[in-house]
Amino acid sequence: MEARLDDPAAVTAMGLAPRVMRRQRLGDALFRGLTKAFAIGVLLLLGGVMVALVNGALPAFRKFGLGFLISDAWNPVKDNFGAVPAMYGTVVTSVIAMVLAVPVAFGIAVFLTELCPPVLRRPIGMMIELLAAIPSIIYGVWGLLVVAPVLQTTLQPFLIDTLGNVPLIGDLFSGAPYGLGVLTAGMILAVMVLPFIAAVIRDVFLTVPAMLRESAYGMGATTAEVVRAIVIPHSRVGIVGGVMLGLGRALGETMAVTFVIGNDHHIHASLLATGTSIAATLANEFTEAVSNIYTSSLIALGLILFVITFVVLAGANVLLWRLSAREST
Amino acid sequence: MTYEIQPVEIPNRQRPHLIQMPAVETPKPIAEAQEQVQPKVQIKDLRFYYKNYEALKGINLTLHDKRVTAFIGPSGCGKSTLLRVLNRIYELYPDQRATGEVLVDGQDILDPRHDLNLLRARIGMVFQKPTPFPMSIYDNVAFGVRLYERLSPRRLDERVEEALRRAALWDEVKDKLRESGLSLSGGQQQRLCIARAIAVKPEILLLDEPASALDPISTQRIEELIADLKSDYCIVIVTHNMQQAARSSDYTAFMYLGQLIEFNTTETIFTHPHERQTEDYITGRFG
Amino acid sequence: MITIYVRRRAANFAILSLSLLATAVGLLVLFLILWTLLRHGLPALSVAFFTESTPAPGNAGGMINAIYGSLVMTAVATLVGTPIGVLTGTYLAEFARGARLALVVRFINDILLSAPSIVIGVFVYGVMVARMGHFSAWSGAAALAIIFVPVVVRTTENMLTLVPASLREAAVAMGAPQWKVIVMVVYRAALQGMLTGVMLAVARVAGESAPLLFTAFGNQFWSTDMNGPMANLPLVIFQFALSPYADWHLLAWGGALIITLAILALNVAARLIANRSSFSK
Repeated sequence: MEARLDDPAAVTAMGLAPRVMRRQRLGDALFRGLTKAFAIGVLLLLGGVMVALVNGALPAFRKFGLGFLISDAWNPVKDNFGAVPAMYGTVVTSVIAMVLAVPVAFGIAVFLTELCPPVLRRPIGMMIELLAAIPSIIYGVWGLLVVAPVLQTTLQPFLIDTLGNVPLIGDLFSGAPYGLGVLTAGMILAVMVLPFIAAVIRDVFLTVPAMLRESAYGMGATTAEVVRAIVIPHSRVGIVGGVMLGLGRALGETMAVTFVIGNDHHIHASLLATGTSIAATLANEFTEAVSNIYTSSLIALGLILFVITFVVLAGANVLLWRLSAREST
Repeated sequence: MTYEIQPVEIPNRQRPHLIQMPAVETPKPIAEAQEQVQPKVQIKDLRFYYKNYEALKGINLTLHDKRVTAFIGPSGCGKSTLLRVLNRIYELYPDQRATGEVLVDGQDILDPRHDLNLLRARIGMVFQKPTPFPMSIYDNVAFGVRLYERLSPRRLDERVEEALRRAALWDEVKDKLRESGLSLSGGQQQRLCIARAIAVKPEILLLDEPASALDPISTQRIEELIADLKSDYCIVIVTHNMQQAARSSDYTAFMYLGQLIEFNTTETIFTHPHERQTEDYITGRFG
Repeated sequence: MITIYVRRRAANFAILSLSLLATAVGLLVLFLILWTLLRHGLPALSVAFFTESTPAPGNAGGMINAIYGSLVMTAVATLVGTPIGVLTGTYLAEFARGARLALVVRFINDILLSAPSIVIGVFVYGVMVARMGHFSAWSGAAALAIIFVPVVVRTTENMLTLVPASLREAAVAMGAPQWKVIVMVVYRAALQGMLTGVMLAVARVAGESAPLLFTAFGNQFWSTDMNGPMANLPLVIFQFALSPYADWHLLAWGGALIITLAILALNVAARLIANRSSFSK
């Protein structure tokens, strides 16, 4: 069969056009349908995760009601569970991580955009991003076997001796130096989310129009003044978005925290004490849960974690999208 | 350009700013030309909209077979838009639409029932910047042929060679047909795109400022190519370069602000323009 | 005037020094981790490490069962996740620009990109492990695939969006149907970028451990049965590093070293490819 297009009359006469057309239309429709089906599949996946979590968590919520959210009990023997200790650990470690990581990420972004010689920008930026590529488990091993012993003999005694005696915040730094604990977990988390926050802040810094920057420099402003007066105000939305993205990561981080937090279901005032987080509780206890209500309580924790991170990440994405929409218009 | 337009009548042959027609080419008598030519495309009251902005305001125009028609005019006059209507490439973008009629061989191609892909297979297009596909030189040329024809490998080889020869590229690439089309120089890439367009033996060839991104030598080759291809195709060329229009086209359409101001043989447009705007534009006094 | 200027200069110097310090801290941590891994991990690497399965405490052994498990589960996740991710990314970039469904899918995908992986593990436990009644390598691979997809969706969409419109127009002007335009022209133009996305996704799931805890579960012995529990590097590292035994610690360090090196190498390679393929404007 040979189709000749150089003779349109022949094409029509042979009835080729309708056949080729039909085949092509079918191909287009199939391909489009296929891609759309998978796109919808991504939505269904999220829906499936939600449904599975809610379904699994129902027994726990039925038994404990909303009291699950305000109970600090965690007693597998008596099948009495509450989410507060794990939620407390999740939130506190994440807050510590943000307090430590955000200023450093800021400094890295300023360095990469304002200070770094152009030749080194890419390699240094890439090395910072590689921090994000190191698996969570490695941070855990490193934190447990290297960082925690060092903190136990250096930073923690120092904090106890100094801040531990300050009124009001003294309780946060009281007790014995274990090495492991909430503070250590927060510090490891800080390193882990640092590259994400730094990358976002750097990227939004780069969207500041060169003209604005140059006119400020033209007025005789120093680099620090340009950053403070021009770059930061211009990037505010993106910075908040980047910080929230990092927070979303920190909240859900599992293995590194599991290694160093100490896995203790009691809430202590001191940041140096041990604790647990939602993700660490799941990692440690999910396969050991014997009773249905125990498993269900763990899934309920997972649901809480998923909802919290969903809200935080959704907020981050909305902010970052608004930013890129502004860029493109 | 802000100098004053002189409202003095000067005999045409003495006008100092008019572009010289190439001396080598003997101007065809209009009457004789009209006997030979067949209308290929008839455009009737064509209007085009980007969202609500009317970019073409009722164009009426006839394009002839085996002739080169040039669309000229200042930026934004609608000349490229008009070209993009002829193969309905604008339909890639949902907020663009056209009304009116474009008859190719008497069939209205704006009719939504008209199959787009088949229409485009009959109408070749070469863009302002070279657009080689990310595949080998051979595959670039064979791309369109494979879409609509089942040829034996030997026949396909012949078609590719023939297209490359006509595009004056064969000698430069015959030893590296398997190399990427992206490895060629800009001028070669553009000739590759022409070869790709003519390999499917289209009826109409649309050239959208095909030489604007090229060096003078490549430009010259492309113009020679157009002169050579003219015997087989209805060619439409959009250009902002008036010398190019004068050198390579038989008919010229001058457009301004979405309207067709004047359409005539190229010789008439460049020597006896009837409209003041046309004259101002081709003498560089426009603005 | 001069004193003000001196003060401004000093403030500038202080702030820039702090930013330099912050970068130094970041780089220092990277090198500290790598140095620690090399120092503790290199002594663990021996022939037995790559030929024997994980031992009981006090016995000699290696990691081959875990290496195999990681490779197999990552490979299955890649084979399943790549087409799903590429097709979804294609829908977002080619078929649905601006459509509401695309906005929602993109939004959800960006969230899944950073969602806690342990929750994915719980999900797969519920839909696969609990139904089948046992842990399995299949369920582990499924969990990894779920984490794999969003990474590929994101990069595919980005890379396809970078392909110049003129290339699409040129292919469409040849009379090619849209699916051929995408498959034969747009994909080829974006190939290197899409490959980068796949490599980054492989690097991401190869180091995942949380979603495998209750899916692949782990296995002390050599196993190629996809229907049964299977060992994998991150899980063995988790188990061994938390144990009190020195020889298990050593193996954990060795495993940590090779998996980190593999993942960093993938990342660096992906970035180099991406830089090479960036489109000239």
